[in-house]
Amino acid sequence: MSSQTEAAVSPSVKQSDKDKRVRLPFVRNKALLGSVIPVLLIVIWELASRLGWVAPHLLPAPTTVLGEVVSMAQSGELWGHVGITLYRVAAGFAFGAAAAVVLGAATGYSKIANYLLDPMLQALRAIPSLAWVPLFILWIGIGEASKITLVAVGVFFPVYLNLTSGIHGVDRKLIEVGRMYHFSTLQLIRRIILPAALPSFLVGIRSGLSLGWMFVVAAELLGASQGLGYLMVFGQNTSAPELVVASILLFAIFGKLTDELLKRLQQRALRWQDSMENAS
Amino acid sequence: MLTVHRVSRLFQEGKAGFHHIDMQLTKGEVVGVLGTSGCGKSTLLRVLSGLDPQYEGTVTTDAVHQEEAFGMMFQEPRLMPWLNVIDNITFGTKKRTKQKEAEALLKTVGLNGFEHHYPKDLSGGMAQRAAIARSLLHQPEILLLDEPFSALDAFTKMQLQDLLLSIWERHETTTLLVTHDIDEALYLCDRIVIMRGQPGRVESEITIEQPKPRKRGDAYLAGLKEQILQELDFTKV
Repeated sequence: MSSQTEAAVSPSVKQSDKDKRVRLPFVRNKALLGSVIPVLLIVIWELASRLGWVAPHLLPAPTTVLGEVVSMAQSGELWGHVGITLYRVAAGFAFGAAAAVVLGAATGYSKIANYLLDPMLQALRAIPSLAWVPLFILWIGIGEASKITLVAVGVFFPVYLNLTSGIHGVDRKLIEVGRMYHFSTLQLIRRIILPAALPSFLVGIRSGLSLGWMFVVAAELLGASQGLGYLMVFGQNTSAPELVVASILLFAIFGKLTDELLKRLQQRALRWQDSMENAS
Repeated sequence: MLTVHRVSRLFQEGKAGFHHIDMQLTKGEVVGVLGTSGCGKSTLLRVLSGLDPQYEGTVTTDAVHQEEAFGMMFQEPRLMPWLNVIDNITFGTKKRTKQKEAEALLKTVGLNGFEHHYPKDLSGGMAQRAAIARSLLHQPEILLLDEPFSALDAFTKMQLQDLLLSIWERHETTTLLVTHDIDEALYLCDRIVIMRGQPGRVESEITIEQPKPRKRGDAYLAGLKEQILQELDFTKV
């Protein structure tokens, strides 16, 4: 970068570069390319069930699973389960991420807060989060609050860790620029530290969400009367594998959808990054 | 404009940094600081700019706004990667009031058409042009340049040196230029301060009488270069 000579300072140079890029029509369609293997697997699975290679009471065909989902959707039963699960993930994610932002920003920016809080939080992180379940149920009962708390605990750590490490990794040279302009601490945080830590923070948010999904399953498996996790337990108890597989499928769909949403957000927010992703 | 009186900043029990530096800059003067590496010339700029407050001695300016007297340009452009060029130039100011000036500066440094590019899309020279514009927007009364072109290739370097000359002609900003490039110092400065030793001290001063713009291959400058090389005498430690 530094050894480039500026032969001509005009924006037209950049634009002609863009047009020259070679594009393969098939490779360009990312969605198409990404769905090749899943579609193939589903076809094989359907064939295996139809031809009796696997016992249908253990692994029902994809069409049976789909039929189950459609009939539940038509009866209206499905939306209650999906709704409550989404609500638990969303609420837990919001609480967990908010707590992580506050504590992560504090330990990231202030040395004292770091010495004070970080060892404790790291120790708490070492506890397998599911170990909290009995305690949460004892403390706050079996209702919504304990499930949301569990999801929040799951979301908290990845967000917290990525935010602190993002803040610690902010280039000192950029902070010096702010000091040249006599920025106050608040201005430094808002105008340099937060944007510079954003890439790392967004990675944390995404892995936090995926852990949130994991923990909502755990919470619902352990004690719920509604939700996708409950549907799985119900399917297991009534020997209805199509119900279990349908729940898994729905988890996959909603997990993927929410992650895609965050990914889009991440790409939009990080267009400025000089990364592989943006090189195209 | 700027008076530096017996300023010292020492590291590693007095083995690095600089010791008892005296220096005076009059208004509009361009002074170069030349020295071998490790003689504390970059540290001197960090002290003057306020980035390094742990020094002894006194630094006084007769700037109108004492707080905002200094503008600094670093060896690297240090642009905020998440801001586009125009937002980088107005970084640290209230954007609306400075928008017009920023656009004018963008033209001055030859970046018009690149307002909305991100730093990742700029070449090294273009990024440094944006950094020049950013440091000028605040209209500092004293501009500190820390080897601003040392990471650029020879041709870009010459272009930007000429850009600086044209800017000085217009703004008459008092400037302290730290460099290890003797030719650069001879081409740009009214006076050159030579530092050497560990910790660094002011070894000597050379006033360049020739008016600017100068010719790069000038015989008078070549003579001065010879003299400076002897002063620096790389064989003696």
